[in-house]
Amino acid sequence: MENETVISFANVSTNYDNGRDILTDVSFNISSGSFYVLTGASGAGKTTLLRLIYQLHKPSKGQIKLFGQDCENLSRNDISTLHHKMAIVFQEYSLISHMTVFDNIALPLRVRGFSNDKIKKLVTKTLEWVGLGKYADVYPVELSGGQQQRVSVARAIIVQPSILLADEPTGNLDDENASRLMELFIQMNKIFGTTIILATHNKKLLETYKFPIITVENRHVSFAGKNTEESTETARKWKGPQPKSQNYFSEISQQFENIGNV
Amino acid sequence: MKKNKLVFSLVREQSSFMTAVMSVLTFLAVLAFGIVLSISTGIIRWNNQWEKFATIQVTTPDNIKTIQKIFDTNADKIASVREISKSEMESLMKPWISSGAKLNNYLPQMFEIQLKKSSDMTFMKNELSTQAKFLTHTSALKPTMNTGWKILGITLFVFALILVSIGVCVSYISRNIAMLHKHELEILNQVGANDKFIAHQMQLIVGKISATACLIGFLLSVPFLLMILGTAHSARVGLLATLSLSTSDWFALIILPILIVVFSVYITKKTTIKILSGK
Repeated sequence: MENETVISFANVSTNYDNGRDILTDVSFNISSGSFYVLTGASGAGKTTLLRLIYQLHKPSKGQIKLFGQDCENLSRNDISTLHHKMAIVFQEYSLISHMTVFDNIALPLRVRGFSNDKIKKLVTKTLEWVGLGKYADVYPVELSGGQQQRVSVARAIIVQPSILLADEPTGNLDDENASRLMELFIQMNKIFGTTIILATHNKKLLETYKFPIITVENRHVSFAGKNTEESTETARKWKGPQPKSQNYFSEISQQFENIGNV
Repeated sequence: MKKNKLVFSLVREQSSFMTAVMSVLTFLAVLAFGIVLSISTGIIRWNNQWEKFATIQVTTPDNIKTIQKIFDTNADKIASVREISKSEMESLMKPWISSGAKLNNYLPQMFEIQLKKSSDMTFMKNELSTQAKFLTHTSALKPTMNTGWKILGITLFVFALILVSIGVCVSYISRNIAMLHKHELEILNQVGANDKFIAHQMQLIVGKISATACLIGFLLSVPFLLMILGTAHSARVGLLATLSLSTSDWFALIILPILIVVFSVYITKKTTIKILSGK
């Protein structure tokens, strides 16, 4: 999958219900394993771009291809199948308040019909990974903003998505928690080769992590910087709780393989 | 480990309201169905009760001997012959005979016969109708039967209306739950849930509400049904007195709430998929 185009936009335009353009004539290709930061002013269309990629929004013009598949005439079931290879994280966490942290994280696995035993193993490991091992039985409202965002990330990464979209995931977090979260994304990108597009307008993050940038401005999209191995190496070290096992990521990866997911 | 696998949750007020509405509808449905079944049983019994009976009214006294001969000749077909006494006729005609005494002279001689088989009725009618007025009890009581059928029709209509109301109510409940849980629907969409999974989640919650409501509705309706039957039986005679529920009727009444739950779950699936596909 390395270097294969996983996201392809060709002359894509989209508009609001009142007909006003949000994005016009957007074309780009994104390769597998890339890590991009999506930036632009508030209301420029960052979220819309992510929603277009995630098939939560239909373009008014142009063609979107995901994993080489044209998305124009996908049925609702086709889209949900496509979502099995993708995940999205929002600034406002999108957690279900009456479900525990465990059940929130388990939701994508339940949707995919995993057995309870496998769900328990995977959720426990992922919770450990995001440093929330002790909070399985806690409800989201009992957690801090940073912890809730980590739950939201855990729910996204538990299915080991090929594409991870994150819409201002650090928007509600302090620098410390924002840094922890970035580390998680970097590890995902490095270990699993997950293609990540992270929308942010946090200048500190942009200065600290030298990722290639996608800028949304005046209804158009432009690219700056190279997506190289070197860029991810510049990331700061993980300051949060360390996974117990040194080979944790390969362990979790092995588990996914055993299950036959992806 | 605490686990709540249901994505949709209703606060107590919402689920109590929905359970109460469904309970009332189930109560009415069981009651209406119970009345339908008991009237049907009553009409069938009523019919069976009278189809072997006939009244023979002899207006020409000279024919009595011939009639008596016909009775004797067909004794193998007749279960019983009873002459209706003058006092019985007087009591039956009391509302129309004010002073009574003189009109007694004009009263005809009447017999009530009961045949062994209802299939012999036509033969006996042909034999006797040349000598006397022959009136089967079935045709004499036709107005009562017709009233019974009409009541049955009305009750069936009410029952159908209740079923439609249940369908509309369940559809509304599903729609309401979906509207109340837009956030959860969005999340489910994000995590890759297909329509079938979401509909199943909705079915679980509506199924729970319906099952509880149907149990309550059924348990409430039983004493009312027994009360209606008890009141009808107190009439002692007539169609009302024949209203009854057999074992199979009770079985059908138990099945009804189960069918309502199944129906609710089915409607929920249809409604949810309709909502999700934006129709």
